[in-house]
Amino acid sequence: MSGAIEQPRFTCALGSCQSVVAIKKGVPILHSGPGCGVQISRIIGQGEGYAGGSTMPCTNAEESDVVFGGEKKLRDVVENSFKVIDGDLYVVITGCTAAITGDDVAAVVGEFQEEDKPIVYVEEGGFKSNNYVSHSRLVKAIIDQYVDKFSEDREVIPGLVNVFANIPYQDPFWNGNLEQLKRVLTGIGLKVNILFGNESEGVSEWKTIPQAEFNIFAGSWAGLDIVKHLKRKYGTPYLHFPYTPIGAKETSAFLRAVGEFGGLDKEKVETYIDREEKKFYSHIDKMASFMLEFRYGIPRRFYTLADASTALGFSKFFLNELGIIPGIQFIVDDIPEKYQESVLEEFSKISDLQTRDVKVVFDPDAGLDQQKLLEDAKDYEDKRLLILGSSWDKHIADELHADLLIVSVPVQHRLVMNCGYAGYEGGLRAIEDIYDRVLATYR
Amino acid sequence: MRQIAIYGKGGIGKSTTTQNLTAGLAELGKKIMVVGCDPKADSTRLLLNGLAQRTVLDTLREEGEVDDLKQIEKEGFGGIRCVESGGPEPGVGCAGRGIITSIGMLEDLGAYTDDLDYVFYDVLGDVVCGGFAMPIREGKAKEIYIVASGEMMALYAANNICKGIQKYALKGGVRLGGIICNSRNVDREKELLRHFAEELGSQLIYFVPRDNEVQRAEIKKKTVIDHDPNHPQAQEYRNLAQAIENNTQFVIPKPMTQDRLEEILMEFGLMDSIKDNYHI
Repeated sequence: MSGAIEQPRFTCALGSCQSVVAIKKGVPILHSGPGCGVQISRIIGQGEGYAGGSTMPCTNAEESDVVFGGEKKLRDVVENSFKVIDGDLYVVITGCTAAITGDDVAAVVGEFQEEDKPIVYVEEGGFKSNNYVSHSRLVKAIIDQYVDKFSEDREVIPGLVNVFANIPYQDPFWNGNLEQLKRVLTGIGLKVNILFGNESEGVSEWKTIPQAEFNIFAGSWAGLDIVKHLKRKYGTPYLHFPYTPIGAKETSAFLRAVGEFGGLDKEKVETYIDREEKKFYSHIDKMASFMLEFRYGIPRRFYTLADASTALGFSKFFLNELGIIPGIQFIVDDIPEKYQESVLEEFSKISDLQTRDVKVVFDPDAGLDQQKLLEDAKDYEDKRLLILGSSWDKHIADELHADLLIVSVPVQHRLVMNCGYAGYEGGLRAIEDIYDRVLATYR
Repeated sequence: MRQIAIYGKGGIGKSTTTQNLTAGLAELGKKIMVVGCDPKADSTRLLLNGLAQRTVLDTLREEGEVDDLKQIEKEGFGGIRCVESGGPEPGVGCAGRGIITSIGMLEDLGAYTDDLDYVFYDVLGDVVCGGFAMPIREGKAKEIYIVASGEMMALYAANNICKGIQKYALKGGVRLGGIICNSRNVDREKELLRHFAEELGSQLIYFVPRDNEVQRAEIKKKTVIDHDPNHPQAQEYRNLAQAIENNTQFVIPKPMTQDRLEEILMEFGLMDSIKDNYHI
């Protein structure tokens, strides 16, 4: 990425602090300037979690810390964080200031590590990358400095899998999505380390990471480095499922892929899939008359401004299960070029029934994306449109009288608790939300 | 007010030259401020007859802020006002930012009074980062002198510094006033330095011969003029001061390639006829 962009829908590298917040009793300690943490949690975070948002310990590095170095201050903040915050894992994350000045964070954190304190550090000078990339760096740091040291056993536990999917908080539905993924994977007989959020056991789960039989990465690219790292480190094989599975068709495909990769009992997998699909479609059956009568009432075409995993997941689901046609898909996650081809390939095989050219634009400049969207929408003035985007797309949705489903950060116009769109139940939730948007416009 | 920055390879004698030179200017009745821009804070030792100075950054570290110029400014030989920027202990923090901070603070505190004829910045070694270029940024030093000797690395550093000067000269008003040779008794040193300076498009403004009197004065924490005003070396520094006072040649330097620099050294830096004299 070069030059200035408008509306970046991600944060700087320091944003990986939110991944720590997503770990049960995880405490991020920022070694950064004042305001960095708040800025991040305003873009990618609703609520504080356990020790996030404005409760995050921070060195608030200022001019004298630049000139004289901020190591002493960092040591104080770490020491006091141990005293006042009851955490299971503390992660020191350095921002731009300390990264440029070259504070020896490894040495400061090393002093605590020598005392066997559960603490790791990761250098996330904001300029290093965005948070899609830094999330992997952070997870790898936890694995290398904490898991590796504190895990008691290395023996593989049959059926145990580590799941890595969308990035906590960067995906506003991360918690719900992970819950759903854990639910369905448990359904086919796996024991799941989901690692982040409510359904995780916290650090005790992290400590069994090396014992997994295999790893699952459900996403397009951001996080792939983690499973690659685990393969190198512990020899754990991994399955890469390249998007978020939403709804019956995709979730069943996901489970079959996992079942096959892990050599699971096929009958068991199919029995579970059958049960879940029956349940899923029974709800649609139940509403069949309404949906049929309403078929001209729902949007015919949708645009997405989101990351690749989300855009692919929704596109497959909307087209194949709801008959809503994908318009331009704006991929705003600054996806590296080397991964773009595989995303295009997934879009090219979006339908089993016919060849469909989905127009995909890779551009993190969401301002430019919006312009292109408005231009394209001129051809569909008489059609009802749906936009999958963020709160920043509200004004163009208003302008186009389109329905807006907020699925991407920043999220200011809805509250997200356990909502997730992944899996069977997530698919139903997505249908509810689409119809909800439409019905809400009725008098 | 002429604001002058002195650059040059580490250990070349920038601080010694600056202080002896300013002592000479003070004798001419000039009002001078010397700002040491080196974390070692030893740029004003000879003028103050010792390291009695509290640096700007020490004051900032201990008191959180500096609100009075008197806290950081001391008067030395010939009424020269001495300020040391100071910096972090070696190996930590960012000395470059320290210089930016302290020069900014001097401006805020009104150190640059109208009665000053000269402000000298004595900057450490190479222009390694933006902070060390602070004295030559817009609105500050317009004149630069580089202290060098006939030694290869001193010339290499001087050429490198010229690259930094060129960058700022093209967008601002900073100019190279000349090369000051602080002699190391290298073969054909004067000739070499003259050619080197001319190649840069500048001049060898003065050749300061090597004399142990400088060393003796330093041990006594004094400039040569202060220590022994009648010593011939004191006159050398008076001459240097006069040369700077009279200087009218200010140029945008043309730094040379490494190859060209080495050619000049080959041409002037070696004397085949006296190679037998290379003994220890």
